[in-house]
Amino acid sequence: MKQALILGLGGLMLAGGLPLVANAGDAENGRKVANMCRTCHGLDGYAQIPIAPHIGGEPTAYLEAQMIAFKTGQREHEMMSIVTAGLSVQQIADVSAWYGAHQVRATLPEGVNAEDAPQNCVSCHGADGISVLLDAPNLTGETNIYIDTQLKAFKRGNRQHEIMSDVAAALSDTEIREVADWYAAVTLEILPPEE
Amino acid sequence: MIKRSFAALLCTSFLSMPLAAQDNMDRLSNMQKTDATFTYVEQTGARADALRAIVDHISVPDGFEVSLYAVVPDARSMAMAPQGTVLFAGTRKDKMWSIIDRDRDRVADEVKDFAPSVTFDIPNGPCFSPDGFLYIAERNRVLVFPAAEFFFEGPDPAVGVVVPQGGLVPAEEESFNHTARVCDIGPDGKLYISLGQPHNVQPIDKLEMYDEWGIGGIIRMNTDGSGREVYTRGVRNSVGQDFNPATGELWWTDNQVDGMGDDIPPGELNRQTAAGQHFGFPWTNSRVEIPLYKDVPRPEGVSFVEPQLELTAHAADLGMRFYHDDSFPQAYHGGIFWAQHGSWNRTEPVGARVMFTALDEDGNAAGAQVFADGWLNEDTGEYRGRPMDIEFLPDGSMLVSDDFAGAIWRIAYVGMAQ
Repeated sequence: MKQALILGLGGLMLAGGLPLVANAGDAENGRKVANMCRTCHGLDGYAQIPIAPHIGGEPTAYLEAQMIAFKTGQREHEMMSIVTAGLSVQQIADVSAWYGAHQVRATLPEGVNAEDAPQNCVSCHGADGISVLLDAPNLTGETNIYIDTQLKAFKRGNRQHEIMSDVAAALSDTEIREVADWYAAVTLEILPPEE
Repeated sequence: MIKRSFAALLCTSFLSMPLAAQDNMDRLSNMQKTDATFTYVEQTGARADALRAIVDHISVPDGFEVSLYAVVPDARSMAMAPQGTVLFAGTRKDKMWSIIDRDRDRVADEVKDFAPSVTFDIPNGPCFSPDGFLYIAERNRVLVFPAAEFFFEGPDPAVGVVVPQGGLVPAEEESFNHTARVCDIGPDGKLYISLGQPHNVQPIDKLEMYDEWGIGGIIRMNTDGSGREVYTRGVRNSVGQDFNPATGELWWTDNQVDGMGDDIPPGELNRQTAAGQHFGFPWTNSRVEIPLYKDVPRPEGVSFVEPQLELTAHAADLGMRFYHDDSFPQAYHGGIFWAQHGSWNRTEPVGARVMFTALDEDGNAAGAQVFADGWLNEDTGEYRGRPMDIEFLPDGSMLVSDDFAGAIWRIAYVGMAQ
């Protein structure tokens, strides 16, 4: 993904003469940018509609990489491609910093054992869906259909990732839904950024 | 480096998930029982109180009254059972809700998931045939539940498959956003299903394939799934349709292209008078030319049907219904009510209201007017709720589903104060 990010930024510079690398994201500026995101993702990153993922407390690097991927056309979505087209690289860094600065808390449903979590997901996404890598999203409490949709997109090549494309290709649609149901059932709380 | 070793690890690891549960569909098709249980939605308490507080913000014409009918999470398209016993509301998640008002006091007293034994995938669109078959159009499958208004009380209603999984659109064309289907049974007894195209504007190389499938259109078929044909062409993503009970003509709303500015293209309400008509997309959207298709030849010998009404851009015109009851004043009889979901990225948010148009003597839309609004907080630009679909109770009062607040609102005519 790092490679893709650099390629993406290089393309941007050629096309629009933008700086190659944005300054480190400023969360306070990002809060203002987030007014464009709040109808779907909430101001704190807790999604307001089923089709949008929760993004509060996501790894900042993941958020930034995904928005650059939308902006450069590597990833496509009928809404996000439009939104990111209108954002500068600096705004993307800022809004990623804003959402990334939030804290997350995950609680497994009562009576559910973490050892039963989908074993081929836990090394990156945790048993409770909290990411353990910079390049992996939190899955905690996402709508099952959102996770289902993304896994199928990886499986069918509509979304690509060096790890996820292979993981998803090995799953049947029924297994995909079981993974989605596991993480959707975990309760997510998003807490404000630490002062 | 770390990533690579993870990849290697994952490639060689075996799936250790439990074996997929036997799909209940086989059992239900044979009218056998499963061990599925209902999920009930609490209709009293803090959530219901918070929703009732929204009612004060809703404006309706004099003589009408707004109330909370039911607490229904993610409530989308609705279908009232022909005998009025139960209302069904779909979601963009995995639930179809059944909503019951047993004591007929016009407030629902029980909300539970329909057919919990079935694994649903975006069951947005329920619709009934006049003889009581409930059809559910999912993202990529269509199911039928005979006598659903009687069988809904048990977790294992009989079910049949109209279109099998993967049969509505090719699996690689599935998305999340533009896959909220709606359906209707037409006066010809056929099943009409909208198929939104899964892009902002579809890529040129998909044009032909989409046209064959009816993606970016409305298809119709016999209720056993046979005889499928494309009924409507040139649609972007329609999430609202109804047949004019007076003429049998299909009317539908459409959602417009994003990224061309705050004020174009206008929203659409369309009137279809014949099978196979083309409404312009992706060449035009409410007469506005789409830049990507400027140099792409238009279909030969086809003239585009222009919308009946051009509506506020980006307000997201969704579910619609003709008014064919009689408890509303005469001016509303035979007209169309529809829900504007509200914009998602317009600089100044618009929508989140219920609209109305009467029809003139030629059967054309006379002009849009706001019927109910106040779900959008104009001061902060935040939504209190987002109307999604319209349905009517047997007494002729209106129900408005709201997938943002998670509610179904009721708007009744109570008469003018003397």
